[in-house]
Amino acid sequence: MAKEVIMPKVDMDQETGTVVEWRKKNGEHVTAGEIILVIETDKVAVDVESPGTGILEGIAAQPGDVIPIGTVIAYLLSEGEDLPGRQTSASNLDQETPVLKEEKTFRQPATPLAKNVAAAHGIDLKTVVPSGIGAKITKADVVAKLQGEYSEKTDRKVYASPAARRTGRENQVDLTRVEGSGPKGRIQATDVLTFLERQDRTELPVEPQSIGPEVIPLIGIRRTIAERMTANYQNIPHIKFTSRVIMTEFAAARIKLNERATRFDEQKISATAMLVKLVAATLARHPYLNSSLKENDILLHRDINIGVAVALENGLIVPVVKNADKKGFAEIAEEVNDLSTRARAGKLTNAEVKGGTFTISNLGPFGIEQFDAIINAPEAAILAVGATQFEAIPDDDGIIKSYPVMRMTLSADHRIVDGAVAARFMADLKTILEAPILTAY
Amino acid sequence: MVREITYLEAVREAMTQEMERDKRVFLIGEDVGKYGGAFQVSFGMLEKFGPERILDTPITELGIAGAATGAALIGMRPIAEIMFMDFTTLASEQLVNQAAKLRFMFGGRATVPMVLRTPAGSGTGAAEHHSQSFENWFVHVPGLKVVMPTTPYDVKGLLIESIRDDNPVIFIEHKLLYKTKGAVPEEPYTIPLGKADVKREGRDLTIVATSIMVQRSLEAAEQLAKDGIDVEVVDPRTLRPLDTETIVQSVKKTGKVLIVHEAVKTGGFGGELAAVIAESEAFGYLEAPIIRLAGREVPIPYNRELEYHAVPQVENIVEKVRELVGLKV
Amino acid sequence: MMKITKERALYYLLQMCQIRAFEEQAEKSYMAGKIHGTMHLSIGQEASAVGSLAALEPDDYILSTHRGHGHCIAKGADLNLMMAEFYGKANGYCRGRGGSMHIADVAHGNLGANGVVGGGIPMAVGVGIGLKMQNEGKVLISFFGDGAASTGAFHESMELSTIFQVPVVYVCENNQYAMSFPVNKWTNSQRLASFAACYGMPGKAVDGNDLLAVLEAVSEAVKYTRSGKGPSLVVCDTYRWRGHSKSDRNRYRTQEEIDEWKSKDPIERFIDYTMNKKLLTEHDVENVKAQAIEDIENARLFAESSPDPDVTTLEEGVYAPW
Repeated sequence: MAKEVIMPKVDMDQETGTVVEWRKKNGEHVTAGEIILVIETDKVAVDVESPGTGILEGIAAQPGDVIPIGTVIAYLLSEGEDLPGRQTSASNLDQETPVLKEEKTFRQPATPLAKNVAAAHGIDLKTVVPSGIGAKITKADVVAKLQGEYSEKTDRKVYASPAARRTGRENQVDLTRVEGSGPKGRIQATDVLTFLERQDRTELPVEPQSIGPEVIPLIGIRRTIAERMTANYQNIPHIKFTSRVIMTEFAAARIKLNERATRFDEQKISATAMLVKLVAATLARHPYLNSSLKENDILLHRDINIGVAVALENGLIVPVVKNADKKGFAEIAEEVNDLSTRARAGKLTNAEVKGGTFTISNLGPFGIEQFDAIINAPEAAILAVGATQFEAIPDDDGIIKSYPVMRMTLSADHRIVDGAVAARFMADLKTILEAPILTAY
Repeated sequence: MVREITYLEAVREAMTQEMERDKRVFLIGEDVGKYGGAFQVSFGMLEKFGPERILDTPITELGIAGAATGAALIGMRPIAEIMFMDFTTLASEQLVNQAAKLRFMFGGRATVPMVLRTPAGSGTGAAEHHSQSFENWFVHVPGLKVVMPTTPYDVKGLLIESIRDDNPVIFIEHKLLYKTKGAVPEEPYTIPLGKADVKREGRDLTIVATSIMVQRSLEAAEQLAKDGIDVEVVDPRTLRPLDTETIVQSVKKTGKVLIVHEAVKTGGFGGELAAVIAESEAFGYLEAPIIRLAGREVPIPYNRELEYHAVPQVENIVEKVRELVGLKV
Repeated sequence: MMKITKERALYYLLQMCQIRAFEEQAEKSYMAGKIHGTMHLSIGQEASAVGSLAALEPDDYILSTHRGHGHCIAKGADLNLMMAEFYGKANGYCRGRGGSMHIADVAHGNLGANGVVGGGIPMAVGVGIGLKMQNEGKVLISFFGDGAASTGAFHESMELSTIFQVPVVYVCENNQYAMSFPVNKWTNSQRLASFAACYGMPGKAVDGNDLLAVLEAVSEAVKYTRSGKGPSLVVCDTYRWRGHSKSDRNRYRTQEEIDEWKSKDPIERFIDYTMNKKLLTEHDVENVKAQAIEDIENARLFAESSPDPDVTTLEEGVYAPW
């Protein structure tokens, strides 16, 4: 009996999963528990284990495809067993399939990239078959059409040795594109290998002659960020407030903390870590800034979970320090350090990026003077922290003095937070940051 | 340093040593006693074992085969000699209908531990009636085992094993091999039936050859090596049961196979080998068709030149290998 | 004429009746569609079988023919196992692999029936050679018919037998026809017996339907052979009532001929003899006949309730070891 491999649900509110990479190919034997596939949910990559032992066949989803959970994306077969009922994906690409396919293509959406590539090469998307049920036409599908994917049918029309056919099958090579060096033009296995070698070295023949842009498909984390940011930007009415903070005492406090840390040979405390604690302490007095809007209800969260935005090579991820108001500077520093490191190594768990109630994004280290951030739904607000720079500011007596100054900007959800509420929070926060000792009040 | 003896001496030694070891073994055939055997294989054995165990017969091939069968049926271990394989035609009733089938027919409650030795092959000018090779006829019969040794070392080990085997064995020698020499240990030893021997390892092509064609293939391989063509030569040694595994592994490795045997190509053992290879895992590794080089579709002619060209020779093998390796086929 | 005891008389009569009953039952089962293939019945030849076997010791050997049910029964075969083999059952003598024509019990000296006419004669030579080498004083009776006497195999075997002086008694059951070819076109029992002289062995022709005549001739031959004087030949002149095989339409002989031979029924003749000599009573005869019928009936029941061979074991038993 063929066993179904489905897009798994790994998160409570997950509706789809994105295929990132198949670790096993069609025809490979897999054992139960072996990792066969990597998918992405939200921004976390998840390894998918094989649900059983057998031969993997009928892979119906390609990297980049967003598949609803529960959808069958492959099968596990026993020796000699055929794929159940419907056609395999290879034969789906057959040009002469009947009306049903046409119908499907009309209604089938395509990814923006697929559309671009198709347009660039004059390919009518109607003639491209998506590589799985419920999936969009992806760039891979268009490329496959251009290349002419390997299929059983074309195999029969070529004059090739058994070894060449086997090599072709194993490497998914369309033998009609291989030049044969054997007698009467027979394709030998060596010819297939030569073809593959050339394939690796040259650009895809589909690329246009002029130097075009480097194409990076919007998949996985990049795609998620793109979609999220779009939604948040569009759906949430953002109000923004900037405050100028004199960081003298903050800096001094930090020195003191790090002296102690050094003495005890413990984790150094970063500015970000201090911010997490100080913001958390402040949020305790301003519950509306630590809330979420759910349909028609404002949920005032009891826990204060601060998300710390971490820049990755190809995106952004926000690990969460849970119950930050209840932890000390040292503990938070250690946690922030650990989370950031693991975030950059791609080793965060799902739990670690969930449950945030407020986010801090610190671009100070990059020298950004001031910026505003997009709210990380379903949170109510996000604090964008800029660089600390010396500025000339008149003191209370009007004399120009040099102070370390930082500008922070709060973006708040105006459906939950009014201007005054936000302003009060910011004023409070400014006070705390300018005199950290006040957290102990 | 192991001493060298001829293939013929090795046959004699095998029989002698077994007859010394096991009193149930005896030899029966035409002119095997006083005459010492048509090819002198049993020279000296009458003197050694006496007329009770070296049985001379008149021209009675069927009788000889039947006698061996009957004696084996009640527990003796006869070696029957048919002077030329051509005359196994006369003996085949007893070999094919009786010896091969008694065990199965009687529900497994009978055993026929006999060996039928016979020299086959051409090259001595003996022409149509004294030069044939019928190994494939007997390979076709369940209940028989068929052995075709190539070297003095192989022939001694395989003959001793065949005598000790509890089944009827058709043991096919080659006239032209009788005089060939090789290193043969003095003490008795056995070589298992059903086990092939890779006589030469190589990368570029597999030759599967029988009897004297192994010799010719090895010679061809030496010549081809000078041109950088590296040939693997597989000698099945036993044709039934066949060591399919060794052959398949070799073909998988090289992707090209040439089958060489002396007997006529049509309906010959080569067809069986080709089918075995094509049906196996090796099929997916073939870079070229399976080619057979075998006897021409004629009875063996008398004229020396004609006789020479009627069967594969070294130069034919070299040519065919070049064709295959050069992917001309 | 040799003298026999009452005990022996009963024994011989029982065997002949068992053979007759067995053959008749086999025929009935065949016509009822329960037996596959064909069979070669020896009805009418009982005396030749029983008389010959009576001359042997229990550990002597026989080689039989395709018409050898009588030989097997006279050799002391288990009727159940024989019938089971007829039915092709797994617990028949040959595990269902041999059938009617190839019944054997090598362990008990029955070296088998044979589907090739004359197939056993060359083997007889080999058995003889082996017996001589084994030197245990055993002899072999090699049965064959007039049909086999015409083969090259017969001739070669006769030569070799005399060359090697094998302890074999060749018993030729001349039932007047090969399949449909009448033996009298080339020879007869007397002339067949004189073949022996050409091969340097004694030969005798006897009335094959006279059990005691057969017994006497074969006993003499066995004694001669067992004493190391070499092989000998006995030709039993007899007749088969039924055709060669089940498909024989008897087109080659007349009903008169068959009836004439039937009047020389070996069993009836033996009964007459023993009753005349007051060896057996009518009562004895009735008992024996009934006994034979019962034995065969038991065999039939045994066979019909026996299991068929397991198809998955099809390729077993071709080569030794199993």
